[in-house]
Amino acid sequence: MEYEFPDELKYLQTHEWVRIEDNIATVGITDYAQHQLGDIVYVELPEIGTTLKKGVNVAEIESVKAVGELMMPLSGKIIEVNTGLADNPESVNSSPYGTGWMVKIEIINNSEIDELLSVEAYKEIVKTEKK
Amino acid sequence: MDPKDSLIFEKGNKNAQTNFIPKLDIECDELEDIIPKNFIRDEVQIPDIPEVEIVRHYVKLSKINYGLDSGIYPLGSCTMKYNPKINEHIARLAEFSQIHPLQEENEGALQLMHNISNMLSEITGMDGFTLQPAAGAHGELVGLLILKKFFETKGVVKNKIIVPDSAHGTNPASAKMAGFSIIELQSNEYGEVPLDHLEFAMQQGDVAGIMLTNPNTLGVFDRQIKDITRIVHKYGGLCYYDGANLNPMLGICRPRDMGFDIVHLNLHKTFSTPHGGGGPGSGPVGVTNELIPFLPIPCIISIENGIVCTHDRIHSIGRIKAFWGNFGIILRAYVYILSLGAEGLKKVGQIAVLNANYLRIQLQKKYHLPYNRMCQHEFVLSDKDMPNEITTEDIAKRILDYGFYAPTIYFPLIVNGALMVEPTETESKRSLDDFVEVMEKIYYEAINTPEKLKKAPLNTPIGRLDAVKAARNPILHD
Amino acid sequence: MDFVPHDDKTVTEMLKVIGVNKIEDLFEDIPKDLIINGLNLPEGLSEPDVLKKLKELGEKNTIYTNSFLGAGCYFHYIPTLVDFVVSRSEFYTSYTPYQAEASQGYLQAIFEYQSAISRLTQMDVANASMYDGSTALAEAAIMASIITRKNQIIILEGVHPEYIEVVNTYCWGQDIAYKNVPLDKIEDELNQEIAAVLFQSPNFFGDIEDVSALAKRIKEKAPNCLVIQCMTDPTCLGILKPPGETGVDIFVAEGQSFGISPSYGGPGLGIFTAKEKFLRKIPGRLVGKSKEINGEREGFLLTLQAREQHIRREKASSNICTNQALCSLSALIYLVSLGKTGLRKIATQNFQKAHYVKKKLKKIPGYEILNNKPTYNEFIVKCPDIDSVIQECKKLNLLPPLSLSKYYPEMKNVALVCVTESNSRESIEKFIKALELANNNKEGRD
Repeated sequence: MEYEFPDELKYLQTHEWVRIEDNIATVGITDYAQHQLGDIVYVELPEIGTTLKKGVNVAEIESVKAVGELMMPLSGKIIEVNTGLADNPESVNSSPYGTGWMVKIEIINNSEIDELLSVEAYKEIVKTEKK
Repeated sequence: MDPKDSLIFEKGNKNAQTNFIPKLDIECDELEDIIPKNFIRDEVQIPDIPEVEIVRHYVKLSKINYGLDSGIYPLGSCTMKYNPKINEHIARLAEFSQIHPLQEENEGALQLMHNISNMLSEITGMDGFTLQPAAGAHGELVGLLILKKFFETKGVVKNKIIVPDSAHGTNPASAKMAGFSIIELQSNEYGEVPLDHLEFAMQQGDVAGIMLTNPNTLGVFDRQIKDITRIVHKYGGLCYYDGANLNPMLGICRPRDMGFDIVHLNLHKTFSTPHGGGGPGSGPVGVTNELIPFLPIPCIISIENGIVCTHDRIHSIGRIKAFWGNFGIILRAYVYILSLGAEGLKKVGQIAVLNANYLRIQLQKKYHLPYNRMCQHEFVLSDKDMPNEITTEDIAKRILDYGFYAPTIYFPLIVNGALMVEPTETESKRSLDDFVEVMEKIYYEAINTPEKLKKAPLNTPIGRLDAVKAARNPILHD
Repeated sequence: MDFVPHDDKTVTEMLKVIGVNKIEDLFEDIPKDLIINGLNLPEGLSEPDVLKKLKELGEKNTIYTNSFLGAGCYFHYIPTLVDFVVSRSEFYTSYTPYQAEASQGYLQAIFEYQSAISRLTQMDVANASMYDGSTALAEAAIMASIITRKNQIIILEGVHPEYIEVVNTYCWGQDIAYKNVPLDKIEDELNQEIAAVLFQSPNFFGDIEDVSALAKRIKEKAPNCLVIQCMTDPTCLGILKPPGETGVDIFVAEGQSFGISPSYGGPGLGIFTAKEKFLRKIPGRLVGKSKEINGEREGFLLTLQAREQHIRREKASSNICTNQALCSLSALIYLVSLGKTGLRKIATQNFQKAHYVKKKLKKIPGYEILNNKPTYNEFIVKCPDIDSVIQECKKLNLLPPLSLSKYYPEMKNVALVCVTESNSRESIEKFIKALELANNNKEGRD
């Protein structure tokens, strides 16, 4: 099984991806994660304006047989959520890095960015998990 | 059957029938004199339906439903044993069904509950029981609240519960409802609890106890059970027994002797009360003497004058249900225990294990058995090594085509593609042989004609349903 | 009795196939010192003998010809169709319908139950059942706490005292603070930190609240606070405005009045409904409709299971697994047997008969109706001597009304009277007679 992991993104061990543009981080779940969960039926997104710390649960992704948690990759304020997922949760499966994005965060602590994983490091993690 | 035009609501009629309404035999006032006009609703949107239509509708529905009286129901961890008809008859007698929970002349009911509590104590080795919980999960909540209260009264903070990774989902969910967080222990290669990991977890000092079922959800008896409970006690914790798998232990072995302090039972599993399509059940909780003060109120106690009900328990966790637990279910279990007696109960344990191993030894020739050892009342197969990418779901759906109900699938979570089989003691050898034959047929189909499994079920009233669509756009009523 | 279908020869054969010599070998994994020597219980009884024994026990319970006792458990006429359907063994011996293809009968019935409850209550979603009214109310409070992320609730006076105790226990489990508040003090106690206000209408004392007005008051003061109503006898919904039209967010009820025998208080039926926006947080099972993957036929299946414990485990908001399925089937058959006309007539009779008794009571000196609001089939009445009332009722084989001092020791000589359609004119006349006699007894003593 070949998963897609775009080179320009950052990753977390808990299978989130992060796209950083200036001080805004866009977050979603990786191709591996969406495959593990199966067909996504519902995504519960946070309220805009909430401020959360790194590592805290920020969204829940439901499939028919499982629930996944989206963890905050960085501390920040939620400034936008992907409301399109309400009608099209399947975007998380078909386009996990595109229309399947979940939240946009205004980053509070830039030093946390260094703690994110590179694509190579993340690929290693996936390799280990698959065993 | 296409449900579109056959929901009961489609069978209404303009003519109202009043077959079930007594004649109004008093002088009436205007309704608007009794109740303000703005409290009165528009017509209820449930049509008037002719009696014969109702009967035919539900008879038809019953015919497309598989019950235990139809055939083997080998669902692991559910103990689908025969539901004796005498239980149903007695539960309907007016002297039990027409009594009000608050009426004073209830000596028979109190006596019955007192008697069964004693019997359950004898069966499990515990000292006292509450019959209040309405289901196993409810019993788990009660047991955990008892744990919580126990430590609270000691002024000790212990807010974690250990569960093995093979635990039923209700265990961690119940722990959370009681305010605990979970430490999950990975089972070892024998499917048992690793003692060193257990000791390490207990050493942290904040563990209130462990929740276990033994035999566990793999169907194996944890041979180190006495060490497990000893370690938990050593560090000041208590041991909770999930009684879902008690069936093979009846008359053979007792949770108290294994070292457990709290036990819940599932009357709708071990004690033959009907599953009812999902309830009602009953989940009595038994405890050691030390924990009796914490049982929920009301309690039934025996005093000089007889059996009475008391609320006088200052350390009680409180009330967990209105009135009296599921009395109608408790009554059925009582009749069952009386019917079987000591010898009959022991036979249940023995034959439950005989039947399960009889299936295991034959099925493991074709299907992967991850834990290859003597099982108790159930065993777990998996879809590993199945040819043509056949999954557990495919196998289960094909079993339906042969007119049987499928075993439990995808549980326990620690076995990938788990297929959990529990025949119970009430299956005849013929029934078991038929099941083995079907499983063998399906195995060969997996090799030679896998599309039959992939497309299964083909012989049921409906094929595989789109669960994704149902969850994305839920339609929960008409 | 023996339900094991093997004879000794078969057992021996099967042991051989397994590869062991005797049954004891099957338990080789159990430490020897844990094996017991059988149970200390009497020997088993045959059917006629167990029936005899239970009848002897049953004789110690009194069956009253008529009841004036309610307080959360009610005597209503149960159509014979109810028992007919739930006695179909394809229903009652089946398990939770996880294998949808072999369980379409029951799944459709549960879907119809959910639909019937939605139609009756006008709430958007009904689940497949909870244990009973009291635990349904407790789980509603927890659900509100999760939705609002607040951990305080208010319980208005008038909720059934046993329900209040159950809510208290569940809240203690989750560190949710609770406060009992009288209706007129509600604005004082409401603030933005309250997750929900719980109230009962018709309440424990019989009062029917103006639910729309109450819901409005709550939302005006605390817009994010959930309004939760409970009800112990939902037959009143044959006449009363349904919760879906009164601004209630979560509505729960004890469904025993819908075709379930009193049976000493259990099993009952927890009816649980909520507004659409709370759908994904509802506890318990839900049956949904869908289509075949490879076909056109529509069918039913358990859905939104990602809410439940078998998937969420410690992240589940409720641990409920087995519920009260067969009782919900009873309720469904009750509701469709009566239909809109029957439901209206039954509710009317309950209103009228209770009203009739109240009128009669007002004519007996010494008795005073204490309700200031409209009532359904229960009301409270001050008596000259409640013990005498109880005694006189029993003499006439009437199940006496509840003495409120059972729950409220300070309320002496107050009875909670219940009159349903099952109380004939004759029984009502007897009841009035009993009350007159009780009054005479008191006067005689004074």
